[in-house]
Amino acid sequence: MTTVRKRRQYRRQERLLPYLLLAPALVLLVGMLYPFGLGLYYSLTSYWLQYPNRFRFVWFDNYVSLVSEPLFARAMQFTLGFTLVAVIVQVGLGLAVALFLHARIPGRNVIRALMLMPLMMPPVITALMWKIMMASTNGGILNYMLSFIGVDPINWFGSTQGAVVSVLIIDTWGNLPFVALVLLGGLQALPTEPYEAAQVDGASPVAMLRYLTLPLLSPFLVLVMTFRTMDSLRIFDVIYATTAGGPNDATTNLLFMAYQYSFQWYQMGKGMAQAVVLLLLIVIASYVLLRLWNRAAENAAQ
Amino acid sequence: MRLRRRDLAGLLLAAPFTIKNVLSAAAQDDQALSYHRQAKIDWRQAAGQSLAIGLNKHPFTESLLPLIPEFRSLTGINVDYLILPEAEYFTRLVADLSQQRGEFSVIMTGPMRNWQYVPPNWILPLDDFLSNPKLTDPGWFKLDDFYPALIAANRWNGKTGSGVGEGPLYSIPVLEESYILAYRKDIFDQYNIKVPTTLEEMADAARLVKKNAGIPGIVARGTPGLASMGTGFVSGLKSYTDGKWSEFDEKLNANFHDPRSVAFTETWIRMVRDSGPANWANMQWYDAMEAFTAGQGGMIADADFFAASYENPAKSKVAGKVGYALIPAGAGGKTYAGLWTWALGINSATKNKEAAWLFVQWATAQRTLLNASLGYRNFNPSRTSVTNDPRVQEIMRPWGGGSYVTTVAKNLETAKVAWTPESERQRVGDIWGRALHEIYFQRMSAADALKKASTEADKILQEAGIKL
Repeated sequence: MTTVRKRRQYRRQERLLPYLLLAPALVLLVGMLYPFGLGLYYSLTSYWLQYPNRFRFVWFDNYVSLVSEPLFARAMQFTLGFTLVAVIVQVGLGLAVALFLHARIPGRNVIRALMLMPLMMPPVITALMWKIMMASTNGGILNYMLSFIGVDPINWFGSTQGAVVSVLIIDTWGNLPFVALVLLGGLQALPTEPYEAAQVDGASPVAMLRYLTLPLLSPFLVLVMTFRTMDSLRIFDVIYATTAGGPNDATTNLLFMAYQYSFQWYQMGKGMAQAVVLLLLIVIASYVLLRLWNRAAENAAQ
Repeated sequence: MRLRRRDLAGLLLAAPFTIKNVLSAAAQDDQALSYHRQAKIDWRQAAGQSLAIGLNKHPFTESLLPLIPEFRSLTGINVDYLILPEAEYFTRLVADLSQQRGEFSVIMTGPMRNWQYVPPNWILPLDDFLSNPKLTDPGWFKLDDFYPALIAANRWNGKTGSGVGEGPLYSIPVLEESYILAYRKDIFDQYNIKVPTTLEEMADAARLVKKNAGIPGIVARGTPGLASMGTGFVSGLKSYTDGKWSEFDEKLNANFHDPRSVAFTETWIRMVRDSGPANWANMQWYDAMEAFTAGQGGMIADADFFAASYENPAKSKVAGKVGYALIPAGAGGKTYAGLWTWALGINSATKNKEAAWLFVQWATAQRTLLNASLGYRNFNPSRTSVTNDPRVQEIMRPWGGGSYVTTVAKNLETAKVAWTPESERQRVGDIWGRALHEIYFQRMSAADALKKASTEADKILQEAGIKL
């Protein structure tokens, strides 16, 4: 009698187990979906923190008005342009660093450990540190060092081009180690047989890189590209801490624009609409990149 | 309670100062308590209640924190507080006020901020508290000890477009901020440069300083937003037009493209581009202040109390080398500088209104504000008695060879809130600042950029339902 009950109890517990294991993920999902749904809803309203009485459902008015907002076009342009350049630069440099560290050079373990440093720093601290170093006068450390190689003081944050380049440099400094480490991990996991065969056949190092390493590494390359694309599309902390979107709105991206609308001007409805547009952009980009990754992984496996 | 109990980062940063002053405050404790007990009110009438205070990170805030135990033992009221950096603070505040949650009982606000909070009745008029003998001892509190211009700045009749200085008092000022010109007296003397009294002379002086001394002739805030427009720039423009220009006419049509405004802006931008620092467009108030303090600027037209930094020998390279003058005037020869006060107000959604008022009264009492100025360089004082206190005079009197005190006093005769009261001031200031960047980077002419700013400002006021 008791054993039957115990067994039944045990079976019931067994049935509950999957849900129990899923629970943390479900809580997380609800925790993410709730603000997401709320934001989506607000993007269809005239929600303006300052004027609670004017709250109305306006369907797609906020999205339509974006088209006639000149700042939106500029922000979109900067978002896409920055992402393109940042991903190319960071993955390119990251690959170079990874190949360098993969080679048997003395002291590479020390270099590898040192490379982790930028990853340990919060991006805002990184940005503020660079902001001080990038002072526009000769007093700035960076301009002072550049003066030794005959470069005139660069107007880092005071000019529109300078500000764009500055944000790119700071973002690259902070994220290069991540790219390099993932690619280094990939390099170290590559099979050695194809290389031995190529060596026997007398292939040049360049040919080995072109026809062996890059194809074999491509799943890793696409993977870091996916991460970097998603992050670059929604870069915020560096911009917030250094340029605040300026000068002349040159470094305002979609996320910073959404921040200004929502938290500086309190137009939550419009700000949320901009955030939703950014979200769509990220979803599309990551979908494309993940398909690319699948294909690369299949090819590399063959 | 939704509040964090302490702003940890703020406390850590302030720790070396706080600990010292907690000790000295403790030593004075009995004395301060007996000072407050001279007020003929029952301080303990709200004992056992709780208050939450929203504070912006600021020297005044630093001065208040170590004294809160004193308030607690005086009144038996529990105080919780949250300190945030300015931008985060105001966002959090609007979120609280607009939902009428009453999270903060007492808030740090000021004249232009009140224009956002008064129309929807988010903050309480304070006159009823002031005239209630159960809550206030007028003979002890002495409202007339405050500078009249500062009290006027915190009054408003609630009508968009006018009425500052009329109607109810919405907040009690804890400091005064107006705008004057600070210049490098040593450089001006050495190269025989005239202290400017007009805009053209100011541009000349800036050029001469740059040419002779090799440093930027002028430093100024340049980030495209309200904070840059509403301080030195608007004071210069108001003075240039003899106080006759304002950013909106009586029908709330924006006036940025007014020919006088265009002329002023052209000269100002040319001065900043030719003689200013390379990174003007990225300069916040602290960048400009620190550049001048580090000896990297010939002039700065900004907040008067920045002098406390310029004249601090421990941090400044220019202490004792600075002269002070009024902002250059227009044809009429008079200066019309803008004005701002940080002030304490009360959230209308708070449950403990009386306790909140007791806190405001205590925090703006003569003794508390004197401590803020003496212990924490909270300048300029909002009470005349604090300014006239010998120990405060001892600090301020030597600045600029005495020219600081006289300049500030003279400036306050005509200084007043520079803005037309309306609730979209932040947005309008940001629009205006963006126009200045279009001109500075030569993407548009001054006339076109300012015309565009007017059109955008009109549109926002319509969208917000302020203007029909």
